[in-house]
Amino acid sequence: MISCTEFIPAYSELFKFLDQRGGKAEVVRFWEHLSDDFLGNLKTLVEQKGIRGCWEYWSHTLNEESADFTMELGEDAGEFRIAMHHCPSKGRLLESEHITPYAHYCEHCDLLYRRVLEPLGYKYEADMSECDRARCGFKVTKLK
Amino acid sequence: MDRRAADNPYLHKDFHGALSSGIDYVADRFGERAVRDYLYQFADVYYAPLKEQMKRRGLVALKEHIENTYKTEGGRVAIDFSETEMTVRVAACPAVMHMREKGYKVSPHFVETTGTVNKAICEGTGYAAELVEYDEETGRSIQRFTKIKKPQRKAENAEGERKIS
Repeated sequence: MISCTEFIPAYSELFKFLDQRGGKAEVVRFWEHLSDDFLGNLKTLVEQKGIRGCWEYWSHTLNEESADFTMELGEDAGEFRIAMHHCPSKGRLLESEHITPYAHYCEHCDLLYRRVLEPLGYKYEADMSECDRARCGFKVTKLK
Repeated sequence: MDRRAADNPYLHKDFHGALSSGIDYVADRFGERAVRDYLYQFADVYYAPLKEQMKRRGLVALKEHIENTYKTEGGRVAIDFSETEMTVRVAACPAVMHMREKGYKVSPHFVETTGTVNKAICEGTGYAAELVEYDEETGRSIQRFTKIKKPQRKAENAEGERKIS
């Protein structure tokens, strides 16, 4: 059995496997599939509760993932942002001595969430400049 | 909301659903064999330290790994252990049960996360893995690990044959 605590390396190795089979385009195709197939709960929450749906979704996932983060919600302004001080996923991959993270690992977050939120009328902006240190951030804004 | 890593335990069981979705994707795009190839490749790399431990300490290293895994996930296992053989009886796979409970699709190939992964872990360690039983609905399983008997060397065999003749 693969424990859920071992999922992140399994995920990173899946990206590598797909890249070997069909290049980065195959990996991107998988991310699109995963966004459509697996993030229905984020989509439903945002459809039902608006920007607060983002808060509820990431409150659940990031706490279970034992992340180190600051999360802010401004319902009047229609804004939601996360500052990820230490990403639990990338952090684990970087800390592991015998695992090399997939070169484009961090790009999956940007694609998965952007693909859900933008069609619902939100702007998704990500700062990936410190991904190599397991830090990142993003902001979701309700378009008027 | 501010959270530090130490504020929460690391246990996001929905990841099982994401792995199941990934396995289905690989099967649909590249076939069932590719699922086994992927899981084998992952396990061979990720469990390399465990494989080294098995070479040094024997089957007890795998026993400890399995006990820790199921304890973390809240699963029940019964283990019959000797230095040459270990039988693991899993009452229900915590990953499968979580996906059933949350309504995630369980890939028909999810069994490979046990069968193929066990084989990859054992490869090159002197032990063999066998998935004796597996129930797709619950993930209940019986897994057996046995020490591989070393084959007699050809020279010894040849000499033996000469002695007989």
